[in-house]
Amino acid sequence: MTTFLVSIGIGLSTAAILSLSAVAFTLEYAVSRVANFAHGEFLTIGAYAAYSGQTIFHQSVAAAAVIAAVAGAVAGLALNFGLIEQFRGRSAITVFIATFGVAIIVENVLTIIYGAANVTYGFGQGKLHHVGPFLWTTSDIEVIISALAVAGVIYLLLQRTRFGKAVRAISQDRALAQVSGIPARRIIMQTWALAGAIAGFAGFVLADTVGTFGPTLGFSFLLFTITATVAGGLGRPYATLGGALIVGLAIQIAGTYTSSAYELVFAFLLLVLLMLFRPNGVFVRRSTVAVRA
Amino acid sequence: MYWVSVVTEAGIFAILALGLDVIWGWSGDFDLAFYGYLALGSYLTFVLTIGKPTPPVEYILGFHLPVLLSIVLAVVAVVGLAAVIGAIALRNLRDIYFAVTTLGAVSALYLLVENYTPLFDGYNGVYGLINPGQTALNLTYNGYRIVFLGIVLILLFLAYLLVQRLSRSPFGRMLRAVREDERAAAAYGRQVFWAKYRAYLFGAALAGLTGGLFAIFISAFNPSAWTPQELLVIYAAILVGGRGNPRGVILGVFVVYIGFIELTRYLPSPASRPDFAPAAREILIGLMIILMLRFRPEGIFRERPGLDRGLGPGAPTAPPVAVASAPASAPAADEGGAG
Repeated sequence: MTTFLVSIGIGLSTAAILSLSAVAFTLEYAVSRVANFAHGEFLTIGAYAAYSGQTIFHQSVAAAAVIAAVAGAVAGLALNFGLIEQFRGRSAITVFIATFGVAIIVENVLTIIYGAANVTYGFGQGKLHHVGPFLWTTSDIEVIISALAVAGVIYLLLQRTRFGKAVRAISQDRALAQVSGIPARRIIMQTWALAGAIAGFAGFVLADTVGTFGPTLGFSFLLFTITATVAGGLGRPYATLGGALIVGLAIQIAGTYTSSAYELVFAFLLLVLLMLFRPNGVFVRRSTVAVRA
Repeated sequence: MYWVSVVTEAGIFAILALGLDVIWGWSGDFDLAFYGYLALGSYLTFVLTIGKPTPPVEYILGFHLPVLLSIVLAVVAVVGLAAVIGAIALRNLRDIYFAVTTLGAVSALYLLVENYTPLFDGYNGVYGLINPGQTALNLTYNGYRIVFLGIVLILLFLAYLLVQRLSRSPFGRMLRAVREDERAAAAYGRQVFWAKYRAYLFGAALAGLTGGLFAIFISAFNPSAWTPQELLVIYAAILVGGRGNPRGVILGVFVVYIGFIELTRYLPSPASRPDFAPAAREILIGLMIILMLRFRPEGIFRERPGLDRGLGPGAPTAPPVAVASAPASAPAADEGGAG
């Protein structure tokens, strides 16, 4: 029973990171109708930016987190401006392949700059805490709190601001939003910056939790991210949070009782089951429409 | 001898690319599991020919079968795996959903092979298939390599003839019709799943064959030989040569492999940056894919116009077989997945 509770505790921490990454992925999809294969690279860029920044700012975790978010935002803007907008009107799969190209480029640019070997942050994981039935490190608790905070901020942004209203309108129908006077290009730009910032922050948190990371950090997390996003339903930010919770817990519990090396296998099995039986997410009633993107 | 090995490698990859082009070029399915089929074909060719493992090395089977029989068995096994993955992924998943499913499948396979050592000895991989039949044929080492090149080129030519015939056959036309507008093709009585499924199995069989040839060519195989990036080179080659055009695909492979991989071999790798040259090569591959997609998605050679009236992939014009549904095809691209 203790093992089970501990694995749930770790699962919640995994789910928190996953929710950050997945919400960013789903926001990108919501405004641009693009499955961004280079999404993992936002995480990697954030992680490395924090790595470069940590020496300048004397190991301040907060400063490193901010640097990661800023770097991710810049990457998001650059990708949207340099690629996504250039491929507007092309088929979803064409853009998907192009972002695959971007992922390879970014990964290798980072390899050239930082080397292929893994690097490690200087921050410790902090002490172990017993919180209720769970066993968490200080950074686990920070991860969970910050994920909740980000979720809260996104909720307020989407529901209570003009920007959020515009994002929701564009995700329904870009052309219609535009003729209603919404500056779609600008809003989409801002959304990509926001998504990039969240993803960059997620990359920092992920790298810090794993302990050591290399240029493939984000790419290997992408399949988990996509699984969580599909579990919630592509393009639905709130449902994605629930999807992340389910996927995070499921892979962690399954991994605890077999081997953590096979977490990705479980994620894949979950993904296949989801796509076959609940292609629009677990929170909508079973759809009769087959998935044809 | 250096050029013999370069041309041999390009020839092997050209066969692979022909198989992938049937799946992606004709059928329109962006398959990310494809390199896994080459890997399985290669692994199986090894474990069927090199005999029992000596501890601490471990792998399954460990037979001493003739190499030709082994390759045939490997192809059969690969088609079996593709039949499972294809049955799941092609049923009603398309585009991104299909790509993600196949990526998941190949990632799971990769993890399994890497971590579960009794299968194919994990990270270390399998090795020891050195010039099978060299003594029987009474050849020198170099002579064997030249003969092998000849065999590869003959197989490539046969594969080309087969694919070319298939391309002009009703089957090839049906696949393209399905690719251009699935609903219209279904409305005209085509069985969409079976068409795509057969194309998928055919492509996978060519990948399995390529795996067997690859086993003889490099005589060792481990997980680092089939990372996802390797597959991207094949896609780049198809894009450059001309998606859906067998002749273009072969040309693309030779251009990308010889003109590109070999030229970038001369990129300097400073001692302080040992990863520079291979990383720079991958960056160039990525750039090439993006630029081809953006500016010349049809490649050097267009898909033969006589076959489907010159429509490039994704062109927002009328689908060839379904004149009636022409106006519906443009907005269909914007509908998205979660409709």
